[in-house]
Formats: sequence, C-alpha cells, structure tokens
Amino acid sequence: MIAKSRSTTFFILLIAGCWLLINLTGCYPTYPKGKLKESIVKICKKEYKLDVKVDTLGKTIAIYLPLSEDLLDFNFGLTKSAGEKIDDVITSATRVVLSTDADFDFYCVIVHDARIPEVQFVIIKYVYDVKRALLNDISRGEYGRRILFDLKLNPQAQKERAVKEVFEKMGIENKWQSEVMNDFFRSEPTALGDIGYWNGRFFIKDITLPEFLAEQIANRMKIEFREDKDISASYMIKSSKGSYQTKEGKRFFRLEVQAEPKIFTDIERKELPDVVFRTALTIINKVLYGYKYEDFDYFEILDIPSSRVLKVSKSDLESLRKNKISFEDLVKK
Amino acid sequence: MIPRKWKMTLKTHWVKITVTLTIIILILLAIWGMMSLESFYRNITLAQLPMQILLFAFNAAIFVWLYTVVLGRGFSKSSRKLTIRGELVNVKWSDVIGMDNVKNEAKEVVELIRDRVRVKKIGGKILRGILMFGPPGCGKTYLAKAIATETGLPFISMSGSEFVEMFVGVGASRMRALFKKARDLAYSYGGCIVFIDEPDAVARKRAFSVFGGTGEGKSTQNQLLAEMDGLQEVEERPGEPNPAQNIIVIGATNAPEDTLDRALRRPGRFDRILYIDRPNLEEREKLFDFYLSKVQYNKSTVDVKRLARKAVYKTPAEIESIVKESALIATRNKRDVIEDDDIIEAIERIEMGTKHNFNLTPKEKDMVAWHETGHLIVLYMLHPTKDVFKASIIGRRGALGVVHENPIEERFTRDREMLLSDIKICLAGFAAEKMRFNTTSDGVDSDFRQAMSIAHNMVWRWGMNDSGLIGDYTLIPESQISDGTKETLNQETNKIIKSCLKDVEDLLNKEKEVAERFVKELLEKQELDYDEIDAIFKEYGKVSVRGMSTR
Repeated sequence: MIAKSRSTTFFILLIAGCWLLINLTGCYPTYPKGKLKESIVKICKKEYKLDVKVDTLGKTIAIYLPLSEDLLDFNFGLTKSAGEKIDDVITSATRVVLSTDADFDFYCVIVHDARIPEVQFVIIKYVYDVKRALLNDISRGEYGRRILFDLKLNPQAQKERAVKEVFEKMGIENKWQSEVMNDFFRSEPTALGDIGYWNGRFFIKDITLPEFLAEQIANRMKIEFREDKDISASYMIKSSKGSYQTKEGKRFFRLEVQAEPKIFTDIERKELPDVVFRTALTIINKVLYGYKYEDFDYFEILDIPSSRVLKVSKSDLESLRKNKISFEDLVKK
Repeated sequence: MIPRKWKMTLKTHWVKITVTLTIIILILLAIWGMMSLESFYRNITLAQLPMQILLFAFNAAIFVWLYTVVLGRGFSKSSRKLTIRGELVNVKWSDVIGMDNVKNEAKEVVELIRDRVRVKKIGGKILRGILMFGPPGCGKTYLAKAIATETGLPFISMSGSEFVEMFVGVGASRMRALFKKARDLAYSYGGCIVFIDEPDAVARKRAFSVFGGTGEGKSTQNQLLAEMDGLQEVEERPGEPNPAQNIIVIGATNAPEDTLDRALRRPGRFDRILYIDRPNLEEREKLFDFYLSKVQYNKSTVDVKRLARKAVYKTPAEIESIVKESALIATRNKRDVIEDDDIIEAIERIEMGTKHNFNLTPKEKDMVAWHETGHLIVLYMLHPTKDVFKASIIGRRGALGVVHENPIEERFTRDREMLLSDIKICLAGFAAEKMRFNTTSDGVDSDFRQAMSIAHNMVWRWGMNDSGLIGDYTLIPESQISDGTKETLNQETNKIIKSCLKDVEDLLNKEKEVAERFVKELLEKQELDYDEIDAIFKEYGKVSVRGMSTR
C-alpha cells in the first residue's frame, strides 16, 4: 500500500514538474521590447536577404523596404517579385509583433519604386486583426478588407518639390534651403494618407483605432462601388475619404464620398445620394460593430456632388443594424 | 560490475522504468518543440493544451463507455445497482414456507452471523459461506433474502453467469470488484451478504489440460477461491474480527453437488451446505394456503388438503404458478373468484401442456385410444403408489395421447415391485395395441425407452435379478466385463421385460370388456378425468391394487 502511494506521488510530481516546465517556456517573449527594431531587421536580412529600415512611434511600427527593382508593372499592378518581397517583410513584421512584450497596435510597411522613387505603396495592419485572422476568428476575405493598402505619390516628396520650386524662384542658397526645409516643412504627418518615407527619413504618425476605422470605411466604400454588380453597373466612385474628428465636445466620424453615375440621366443622378448613404451605412455598421467600437456620438456622411449630408446618431445606427428602423426612416429624420 | 540488487530492480521494474523514461523523453521533446516556437504560437499551444487534454479525456471516456456497453456490463463494473440494504429486502422467516428443516438451519446460520464476535472470542470458526442445493423453484433465493433481512446486512446479488465473459480476466476482475464492494459495505454496516445465484457457472470442477493455459472460467474461479480464503483478513483490534471481513457468501444452485469444484466446498469457504428439497404434504398445504390467501377463491369448493395431496413433488414456484394460472383461468371464465375446477385445470395445463389438435385418421385415433387405455388399466389396477389423474387422446407436447399419473405421496425410494409396475405401465400401450390390432405402432418409442432403462438399471446397477450377479456393473469399463456376464445381464433384463409384458397381456385379456368401454368413452369424450375413470372401474366392480381411492 505504501509502495503504491509512493509511486503514485512520484508520478504526480513528475507530471506536475513537466507541466510547470512546459508552462515556463511560455513565460518569456521571443522578441523582447528592447530588441524589436533589431529583430525585424535581422529576420528580414537573415531569412529573406532584404535590407529594411524600422522606426516606431507610440504604438505604431513603420518598416521601409527600398526595392532594387520596379514596384509596378505596365498595368500599374505590383510586380511578382515586389509582391513576394512585401509578403516576406509583412511576415517578418507579423512574427515580431505577435511574439513581443512591447505594446504595439499597428504596423505599416512602406515600399518605394526603384524607377520612380516618388511612387510609394503603404500597407497598414491592425495587430488585433492579424491575431484574429490567425485564430480563424475572421474570414480571409474580411481580413483582407481590414488591411489598408495605399498606392500613391509620396506626399512629402510632392510637398518638397513644390517648396523647392519656390526656393528656386526666390533664389535661396542650397545650404539654407535644406535648413528651412527641415525646420518648417519636414514634420510628422497628421493624417494616415501622409505616412511615408522620403530622403532617409520616416514620416509616420501614431495611428489610432478610430482614424484607422475611418480610413477602412472609406476604403471599403471604394471596394463596394467597384465590386458590387448593381452599383458598379450604374455608378463609379471618384474619391472616398474618412476621418475621425472632435467638434464642440462631440466625437464623430466623417465620410466624404464623391461618386457619379456612369450614364448621365436624371434618374441616376437623383438616386445617387441615396445609393451612397445606403451603401455607407451598411459598411459603417459592419465595421463599427465588427470592432465593437462605441467611442463616438454620431456619423456624418457627405455626398460631395449633391452636398447632402446625412448625420446618424450612434443609437440610430444601432437601431438600423437591428432593423428597428428602416433606411427611409433614417433619411426622413 | 552492476550490483545484483540493481539488476534485480531492473528485472522486476523494467516495464515501469521503460514507461517512465519514455514519458520523460516525450515531455522533454515536447518542451524542446515548444522552445523552438515563437512565443505567440507557444502561448496559443499552451492555451489550447487544457482543452486538448479535456477533449482527450472526454473521448477516452466515450470510448470506454461505448466499449463497456458493447461488452455488456463492463469490464469490472461492480454490482452497485444490485446492492440492497438487508432490511429493505423485507423477506421474513414467516414468509419462507415449505422448507421448515432448512429454515431452522438458516436461523442457526443467522445467529452465527450475528454472534460473530462471540464465536471469535471463544475461538470458534467464523462462517464464510453457505451453499444451497436443490431443484429449481424451491426457494433458495428466497431463503437467501430472508437471511439478509434477518441479519439486517446489505445484500449483493449476482448471477454466476455475470462473471462469464469472452475476455480473459474480466470475470476475475468482476469478482475482485464484487468483493471489494462487499468489503466496503461490510466496513460500513458491520457485514455483508454476497449472494451468487447459480455459482456452478464459474465454480465447475476444474479440468487441467496437458496443453496448459488458463481459461477465463478457471481464473474467475481461482479469484473466488482466493477471495473466500480470507487471506486479506486482518484484525483491526486483537481478538476482534475486522468488520470489513464479515462477508458471508451464499451460493444457490440446482446443479448436482459433485459438479462443483471440491476446493469450493471445503470448510473455510462454503462451510455450510443446505439441501433444499421439494415440500412435503404439510408444507404444500401451507404453500397453497399462503398463495391462495393472496387471491380471491371459493373456500367452500376449494379443498386445500386435497390440492396438497394432488401436488406431490411440486415445488413452491410451481404451486405459486398453479394459483396464478387458476386466477387467469377464472378471469377468462368471467368469474370473480377461483373455483376448484380452475385450479384443477391450471394443474392440468402446467402438468400436461396446452392442447394441440392433430388431424388423425379414425384408425389412428382408435389405436391411440387403445394405447392409452392399456396404460390406464395397468396404472389403475397394478401400480401401488401411483394414481390416474387424467386420460386423454388429445395431443399435447407432441404426444398424441396421455395417461397422466399422480403419485399418491412422496416416495424417496422405489422397490422392485414399484419398478416392475412402472415397466408394466410402459409396456401396456404396446400390449393393448397388439391385443386389439394384432400389430403395433411407433407410439411405443418413449414407453420402451423408459421400460428398458428401468429394467437395465434394475439388473446392471441395482442387483434386482435372479442370476446372482449383484453390483453396479455400469461402473466397470465394458471391456473389463466378460461376454458371458454381459450376456447373462442382458438376458436378465430381457427376462424382466418379457415377464412384465406377459403380466400386462394377461391383465388386459382379462379386462378386455373394461378396456373396450374405456376406448369407447375416450373416442367419444376425448378426455376422462379421475372421477369418470373411477366410476367406470367401480361400475365393473374393479378395485385398484391400492384398494382405495386417494380422493
């Protein structure tokens, strides 16, 4: 009896010890806070032979990937090689961001075209979305819609070119030009659209969730107008901008949409604002509910061509989502 | 040089050591694998681990449950559901009827169980087991329940067949589980009664094979022997028996005593052997009284004493069945109370079975009637201890006709005259057919078998012959008996048969007129009961060898 209890105790202790060891292995982060930048650079270099630059600001990580080849092909799409390199950098960044003890919410990858350095491609990802996608908590399609892709001319480059032209006209010497540029025209961007890398310097901002959501909603509007068969048959979107603002103590989202009918008839033009509002509201509800975001008072949608504004309170959005009120009721309000 | 002690430890515990080392290596590999993962994936794995373990345990539980369901009652499932507290069994001594002698012995056993401490103090032997032998339906289980009620101990009941399983070790495992439960109950309540119904399923004589191997039954039986041996008996306090050891095993079987393993019957295991026999006249009367008291019956027509006389050799279960069957018959006849006729019909139905209508030709019917008349006349006029109950030419249980006999009283031995009468009754059908039709039928098959069997046993086994060859010759291998002896014995057997046949033929020739009357009556009425038969014999002035009616 005693021998039996001894062996039972031994086995219990053995299992408990091993369990403890296994648990201890999970206690330390693979990429500690202090070595975060270094870790991303190291992984990219060691595993993918890529030279990247990394910077952080607040809860945002920025990674700059200079390409030694073309970013875009003749159809203005990403070249295969550039796409693979971007994927490698994103994978490296994801690995580090997920296995660190540093508290980061967003990371963005900035890629420049070798032929035309002023053309940049920016990808912004929310770390929480990455985790959910890895755990299959959201679908791959939904995950794709939650990523911000932006291909455009570098805003800082455009700004500096314009300023330089003025300096030339004014006849300011080159040594002063650089100093004035640094003091007055090279500062942290205020909008997501201004994020970039120019002349060896990161232009990044500490991205917040509401502005990310506002930009995501605007981005989804573009996708919807492009991919929805009924809408794309009659309308096309020219621009869609989202922002998160505070005015008179009220916090609100603002979406400015400029769309136009493909066929210029009175019917399409008359119905356009409703199409914009209806599509926008569906997207807004989906995004805000998807993130359980409630830190706002109302949502403002501006249809630029008609200058019509639809202002929807948080409670009305909730009622619309629960089908307690109809879109028509909301518009009448 | 490895010390012998270490070598011995390795030899003895090599399985444990291998398993432990394997577990350690697997765990180290798991740790190494985890370490190679990035912390995010490591955390995910760790977070999923408890759920995986839980799911594994859940799946294992489902598998084991399904496995045990498929196998019946499981590998070693204890008899939890079969455990009953003694007082809840509620069968009192007064309820045990029809076995007064055995009841007295059982009462003594109960006293011994109650006074276990006193028995131990004076150095007496503690009772471990009681084995009850007896025909089915004699109340062995009932008596065991009464013992449980009177002792007030928990009662675990299991059938011997529950230990029989196709997988080796399952029976022994169940046996261990049963006794473990019994010990636990005994510890809690001061004792426990384990009742094993039909223990012969696991306790048959062991046959040792030259090919070796251990059968499932043998291992179960060995486990039972070991459990009953009391090897684990430990005294909690010196001189006082451990309550956990106060287990009394009661076995009840209708198998012959010598089919059980001798080891099981030795003192220290089944110490007491109780033989439960069929009830006698007085006990049958009590049984009828008891069972009739539970139903509505006409006291003016139902004569319990007469019923008891008619139900010779009937077991308590059969008597209960007769009463229940008569209640059904009364209900079918739209009566509120049971009449005497209902009970007679019930006895008849139980004894003779239900009727079958065979489409016989007139000649066949005539032959059956003569055959049964032969049996009837010889039984009535020659048999010293048996009476006619009914004669019938209605088919039952595959037979085309029957003369049902009823013993007048219980007899435990048969003398030469009784045996010869039995042979004569068997041969009467043949003689009657031959007398009337000058030919015979194959309906004599079972009659001849029975007659030959009796005659053979009389000569070969019981020394009832005139040749001077005395003794049981069936015990001697046939090859060791001389041809001359065999011939003599067979001649003696034949002599008995011939002699009996002659007596029967003489009687039937003499009573041909009576026989013709019975045949006529049978062909008309199909069935004749005792009163009708008796009346016809009296009409012709014939008296049975017994000289008086048993009614």
